Amino acid sequence: MVKREETIAFFVEQAKNDFSLVEKNLAGVISEIKNSNMKKLNYIEEFDAADVLRQVAELKKAKYKGKLFGVPVTVKDAICVKGIESKAGSKILKGYKPLFDANVIERARAEGAIILAKTTQDEFGFGTFATHTEKVPKNPFDNERSCGGSSGGAAGFTAFTKNFHVAIGESTGGSIAAPASFCGIVGITPTYGLVSRYGLIDYANSLDKIGAIGKNAEDAALLLEVIAGYDARDSTSLENGFKKEDATIKRLAVIKDFFEGCDEEVKKVVQKKISELRKFYEVEEVSLPLNVKYALAAYYIIATCEASTNLAKLSGLRYGAQGDVGGKHFDEYFSEIRSREFSDEAKRRIILGTFARMSGYRDAYYLKAMRVRTKLINEFNNAFKRYDLLLNPTMPVVAPKFCEIEELTPLQNFAMDLCTVPANLAGLPHISVNAGFINGLPVGLMAIAPHLQERRLYSFAKVME
Amino acid sequence: MSDETTVMIGLEIHASLNTKSKLFCACATDSTLPNSSCCPICLGHPGSKPVLNEKAVEFATKIGLALNCKINEDFFFSRKTYFYPDMASNYQITQYEIPVAENGFVFLNSGKKVGIKRAHIEWDPAALVHPSGMGKSSYVLIDYNRSGMPLIEIVTQPDLSTPAEAREFMNLLENVLGYLQVLKPDTTLKVDCNISINGGERTEIKNVSGFAAVEKALTFELARQKQEVKRGNKIEQHTRAFNAETGTTVELRKKETEADYGYIFDPDLVKVTLSKEFLTKIKIELPELPEQKAKRLQEQYKLSEYDARVLCSDLVLGKLFDSIVSKSADAITAARLLTREVLAVLNHDSLSLSDVDVKAEDLLELVQLLSSGKVSDKNAKQSVINYISGDKSSPKVFLEKNNLLISATVDLDSIINKVINANRKAVVDYAGGNEKSLNFLAGLVMREAKGTVSPKIVLEELKKKLS
Ligand SMILES: [Zn+2]
Repeated sequence: MVKREETIAFFVEQAKNDFSLVEKNLAGVISEIKNSNMKKLNYIEEFDAADVLRQVAELKKAKYKGKLFGVPVTVKDAICVKGIESKAGSKILKGYKPLFDANVIERARAEGAIILAKTTQDEFGFGTFATHTEKVPKNPFDNERSCGGSSGGAAGFTAFTKNFHVAIGESTGGSIAAPASFCGIVGITPTYGLVSRYGLIDYANSLDKIGAIGKNAEDAALLLEVIAGYDARDSTSLENGFKKEDATIKRLAVIKDFFEGCDEEVKKVVQKKISELRKFYEVEEVSLPLNVKYALAAYYIIATCEASTNLAKLSGLRYGAQGDVGGKHFDEYFSEIRSREFSDEAKRRIILGTFARMSGYRDAYYLKAMRVRTKLINEFNNAFKRYDLLLNPTMPVVAPKFCEIEELTPLQNFAMDLCTVPANLAGLPHISVNAGFINGLPVGLMAIAPHLQERRLYSFAKVME
Repeated sequence: MSDETTVMIGLEIHASLNTKSKLFCACATDSTLPNSSCCPICLGHPGSKPVLNEKAVEFATKIGLALNCKINEDFFFSRKTYFYPDMASNYQITQYEIPVAENGFVFLNSGKKVGIKRAHIEWDPAALVHPSGMGKSSYVLIDYNRSGMPLIEIVTQPDLSTPAEAREFMNLLENVLGYLQVLKPDTTLKVDCNISINGGERTEIKNVSGFAAVEKALTFELARQKQEVKRGNKIEQHTRAFNAETGTTVELRKKETEADYGYIFDPDLVKVTLSKEFLTKIKIELPELPEQKAKRLQEQYKLSEYDARVLCSDLVLGKLFDSIVSKSADAITAARLLTREVLAVLNHDSLSLSDVDVKAEDLLELVQLLSSGKVSDKNAKQSVINYISGDKSSPKVFLEKNNLLISATVDLDSIINKVINANRKAVVDYAGGNEKSLNFLAGLVMREAKGTVSPKIVLEELKKKLS
């Protein structure tokens, strides 16, 4: 049960009448960021103290006191903040300071948020453990273990801080749910198109969703309500937001296929939690055979095809990493910069994605994956005819040790996303909430709602808590 | 083997659309200072997203309709990925599977039908500037003002059979685009020319600017291919460049197959759906096109097919005709003045109508003088030359100032008497049956009268006097 005094909403209510609470809370977070032990945990990518002080001074004068008044908000590195280095965790974008704020940053600022810092992530979101980057965030429950990825820094810091704070994350195939599960906090990934992608450094545009991470469901929901909304600068932005109809939930279904690859201990924790839920809801089982069989393959083809074109622009020409151009043909120069600055994982995905859209393979891979995606969405929609929400374990394991992750093959690595990828591929809103612990390590339970039924997720998560 | 060579020519024409802002951002399209009109979108900055300019869709739809194409009510944009320094994102946003328009046709003057395969919208890359000339500069500069400009690419079927036909097609196409008023002023159409002979592989001559150049490049390439075949060599598919100075083409590279661009649907953009209302509005707004107008002029004013076609071959010329005849001037006289005299002067001076200040009111006065017999054709011509290339005074003012109008007050009788008295031999010859002497005398009278009397009247008066 979350105490009212622990919520952001409560903090904001108090802070509106007493600015010293804002200053005290902020000083608390900043001292955490500056603490040398915390620094080793690698949650924060970029922190500009002068910029934060400037924001506070402005906030003090502000007439309108918004829904996030005085709340420090951290931002996944892939989301552009004007004038602040935004490099999506990649060396190749070192030094890129966007000329504009992402739409979500504008919206958060308009509601009185303090844009505190950029958080660490897998390079461009390419990963499940936030290990594909220079600054690898460490799990606050056990520093030998991963925070989960790709929004690892966001989830790690949210779990770590003792102060009021929320984090803006981003999910392409599970990058909010996975770290939320490993760090024992709440992550909401909204319906595709509900939150504007304007200002998001793309991984796979047809899958990328900016979402909210908080210590509890109410905090995450509050942040999501602030950042959601139509934006003409993102052509895929939805004009009509949330469904406002009744969010009551009667019938749930557990996606039984998603338990198959799961660690036994994880299964037990999740099943126990679900049996507790029977007090509140009817709970049945459902099978999504097409999603189990094809979602990962379709996801990795579509995501890498799109990513390989997105990353083409990063060639050391006008921003980010630079090299010595002297006397080289442009192909030679581009190759030099890209070979030097992209990680192996980025190169792997560029090669995969480029292959799958080339002549002779395009029909068999890219176009087929696009068609499969439609079938997978239909399978979900059919299930939603009978059930209000679908449930599954967020991750098949608890946060693994870094040495264990090193042992995984790329395929085993991709397979970790089995439970999070289907909802992401279908653009369905989902939440990950803590369901319990195994030897002190958090286990997440994931709930998936129909498109634009985010409010069902909030009410479900409150029952969970 | 027979000497008959079958030639297949297909063209891919790129034209800049006359929208106020670029294709996917709000940057202005009319900036001249380098890099003064660009933003995160057309610079390809990470985090920026394209938003489609609806005006470009409107223009492209009009072009599709004017070329008798099927308009696709639903279409997509795709990414064509290749690395080049002028391409801000290293992919071009273009249309691949479903273009805005496809399967159209136009007719050449000969009545030959030329198929239009498709017309699609895409964005222009930035401009590469070589400060001391291509090949000589040790560096290039990039001007992003052009990056993201809206282009339409029109692709014909390989239905053209001669370089001259290709040129005629280009003229015709430019005229249609001119009528639609969708072309960005002061830009040239850029053409990729594909040519093959006797069913062999085709070569593509990239990026030819100007219609004369298109004809010249194709003529050279046709001769080259014939020569190769004669020598027993096989033509292989490849890309060539045209050198405008030497009039020759040279091999650039072996043609990469199209699918190597790895097209995907652009996931930043959504499917475009043209509403019924939109299409209806565009159809209503579609102006009268050259072919329709030529037919109308023949029916309405009984103009010859030739005159009608010439008048409609240029938007400004056609409009000039419209405004002259709208003042109830004689249409046939007006048509002849424009297609013969005015065009002759312009062609002689290598000018186009838009280069000169020709007013309908001024020409209307001249048409009225001509049709009421108050000016000779010769003097009318002089007045047009002066109007366009001389002191530019209006034809009527010029004719009046130089006493070149046929007036009732001229003393024809005394001029004839004067000429007869001064040329007794010719008078005697005429009396002896030499008809030519009459013409000789008439010419002298005309010269004396400075053309202000009509030749017909002079001849009648002379005959009377001499009989
Ligand atoms: Zn722009």
